[in-house]
Amino acid sequence: MKKFILVRVVNILITLLIIATLTFFLMKTLPGSPFDEEKLADLTEEARMEFLARYGLDEPVHVQYFKYMANLAKGDLGLSYYYKEQPVSSIILERIGPSALIGFQAVVLGLSIGIILGMIAAFRHNTVWDYFTMIIAVLGVSIPNFVLAAFLQFYVGLKMGILPVAYWESYDHSILPTIALTVGVIAQIARFMRNEMLEVLQQDYIMTAQAKGLGDWVVMIRHAIRNALIPIVTILGPIVVSLMTGSLVIESIFSIPGIGSLFVDSIKMNDYTTIMGLTLFYSAFFILAILIVDILYGIIDPRIRVHGKG
Amino acid sequence: MKRNFWKKWGILFVLVLLLSACGFSKSSESSSSQSESDRSGKKVLNLSLENDIPDLNQVTTTDGISFDILNNVMEGLYRLDADNNPQPAMAESVDISDDKLTYTFHLRDGIKWSNGEEVTAHDFVFSWLRALHPDTAGSYSFIISDYIKGAEAYANGEATEEEVGIKALNDKTLIVELNDPTPFFLGLTAFATYFPLNEDFINEVGDQFALDHESILYNGPFVLTEYDQAVGVKMEKNEHYWDIENVEVDEISMRVIKEKSTELNLYESGELDRITLSSNDVDEFRDSEEYGTVTEFTSWYLQFNLGKEPFDNFNIRKAFQLAYDPKLLATNVLNNGSEPAYSLLPPGMHGVDGQPFRDLAGEVIEPDFEKAKEYLEKGLEEIGGELPPIELLTADDTVAKDTATFVQSQLKENLGVDVSIVTKPYSGRLDSMREDDYQFVISKWGADYNDAMTYLALWVGEPAIPFRGNYHNPEYMNLVYKAQEEKDEHKRIEMLMEAERILLEEDAVLGPLYYEGSAYLQKSYIKNLVLHPYGARLDLKYVTFDE
Repeated sequence: MKKFILVRVVNILITLLIIATLTFFLMKTLPGSPFDEEKLADLTEEARMEFLARYGLDEPVHVQYFKYMANLAKGDLGLSYYYKEQPVSSIILERIGPSALIGFQAVVLGLSIGIILGMIAAFRHNTVWDYFTMIIAVLGVSIPNFVLAAFLQFYVGLKMGILPVAYWESYDHSILPTIALTVGVIAQIARFMRNEMLEVLQQDYIMTAQAKGLGDWVVMIRHAIRNALIPIVTILGPIVVSLMTGSLVIESIFSIPGIGSLFVDSIKMNDYTTIMGLTLFYSAFFILAILIVDILYGIIDPRIRVHGKG
Repeated sequence: MKRNFWKKWGILFVLVLLLSACGFSKSSESSSSQSESDRSGKKVLNLSLENDIPDLNQVTTTDGISFDILNNVMEGLYRLDADNNPQPAMAESVDISDDKLTYTFHLRDGIKWSNGEEVTAHDFVFSWLRALHPDTAGSYSFIISDYIKGAEAYANGEATEEEVGIKALNDKTLIVELNDPTPFFLGLTAFATYFPLNEDFINEVGDQFALDHESILYNGPFVLTEYDQAVGVKMEKNEHYWDIENVEVDEISMRVIKEKSTELNLYESGELDRITLSSNDVDEFRDSEEYGTVTEFTSWYLQFNLGKEPFDNFNIRKAFQLAYDPKLLATNVLNNGSEPAYSLLPPGMHGVDGQPFRDLAGEVIEPDFEKAKEYLEKGLEEIGGELPPIELLTADDTVAKDTATFVQSQLKENLGVDVSIVTKPYSGRLDSMREDDYQFVISKWGADYNDAMTYLALWVGEPAIPFRGNYHNPEYMNLVYKAQEEKDEHKRIEMLMEAERILLEEDAVLGPLYYEGSAYLQKSYIKNLVLHPYGARLDLKYVTFDE
């Protein structure tokens, strides 16, 4: 087991190193510098280099790369170029809060409602319940969340005045963005759950359980759900990561100071250190999520756990 | 076994919940309800910012959003009034020497920092030298070093403090020596880079300066009470401000809102007092009483690269320059408050004796499709009958792309010439221009100060650079240089008018497109909200509420 964990950690570090390296060199192929403005473009080449030299940006890319990696090894993500003098790590920490909260609420809500809807649909297969659930699912998948967000903002926020139109000031302000994000998750999970349940319900062990004389609900809860959950766990990792790392559209529609818009902005502004910091942060988060999913497999499915040990 | 499974699930769930519980930020305490403040009798102004606030350090900052904020919490020797004329602010008066090279500023009595300390002439000396010093300067240091004696040498590390023409005679008197007579110098002292700084305070906060609202010392009409780069700022009246009787607004909130439709919804729900409209919404609100437009000193133009075929040929350039109508562009395509341009210098920019430059000079270019065709034929003869493939370079934002498409279709329609469009990100466009990799380009310039020189000095072409179209004409260059030294303002303006005419009419280096503008909605009870057309644009000192 120790060896297993050790190998895992080494793998993670290597993955992060590769990601950091690729991102660094790709990013440097973007045109321009963090200081591209009409005002600076006027400078002579000499004066421009002098200006860039102040930030160490005049050096060859590989030198910049090794300097960055050396700092990274010390845990220093550097200072942002756009948000002058602010450490990238503190910017990320400040911005992740709102995104994570909304994302987390969306995951919890989406997962619970999605699973329940999926179960009902499977259990009442080919009835009104099933059709109703699937209509919701299809709508949820096909309506983009920014349309829903704009719709909610206009009707619930502005016209009905029940919830705040935008901003990030109290818990109420997180409700509309959460709903806007959740609907897609519900739809995705419900469809998945329904199909998995239908498949599981055909299995021999379900028939065995039914033959034992167990009631429908007991069969469902003890035998069916647990097996149907395994594929859900697989897609859960990516869903959690993508929701909790912020949605550019939702955040800008509701004016939320989250991390989603930061990534896009940093690329637009050539804010090298922030791009690197965020990429590494996302990657680490994603790898962590995969790790958790692997552990979850073990909890849900003993067969996998046994294999994992071997 | 089964119970065990659910228990594990539950523990995991609670763990994740706890982890993310720390997600909610401190901001819940500041739940602002506008109607509440209104009832308490306070006059609150609610505005929006179109993007995050990058940097409130007055020396290093370069962007309009930061300038807009700083202009209301800081103050220079002069402040621009509603008509963009500099009025005494920290200074009470100024004596200008006969050769117009020495300015002696007399500071006002009772001017204070927000901690109660007096603002002195030394604060200006300290701040300006800091803005010049190679270790602390930002990219706007040129706005001081270009004018003040010895400043450029100091900025390059080649001179000492004593050699710079910025001296404090005593606490109340500041003496500034200039390189050339600079009729717009008083206006410059209203700009952010010229704001004073308190030396003791700067030393105390060190590199934390301007990172939060407590690490700035204010001397303007308002002070910051909240500052979060991604959320926005809140301000309240500065009780130490010298002219506090004339400031009516008690509190200001400026929130970052990146989405135009959100801004509109907040405006309609009464949570914002003024917003800029996107061009999609202009038609819906054009007849509203709350609708208005405003233009700034930012000119958009086509720039031909004189070093590349076919634009090394004058007649071809001239043909392209006359073959489209900026009016169609402004009204039909942009529809956002922008004005059509027939010259380089925007209307309203200072000329002489209170007469705007544009009014004195008249328009320079008049579109004429027939003439354009004649020029094209002549040009084609000269270059051997056929045009090479032509590409128009543009940035990739919607407005620039729409403009490019407009130019493309007009050239096809009026000249029968095919042009393809090359779209690059903003910085990619700048790179291509720098690297001489373009034939003609859609570009712009925003004025740094209220004088023709801010535009005309760009094309002096010594040496000729690709970024400015590889343009070099000794006649033009000499006019601009002579104007720089000219003491007689009338003669000076005449030289500059002639320079603009040569650049556009005689040499056809540029094709004017439009003067950037914006359409806005503003609640009718807000009056005297001033937007200057350049530099630090927003001025909230003068705002009054109409009950």
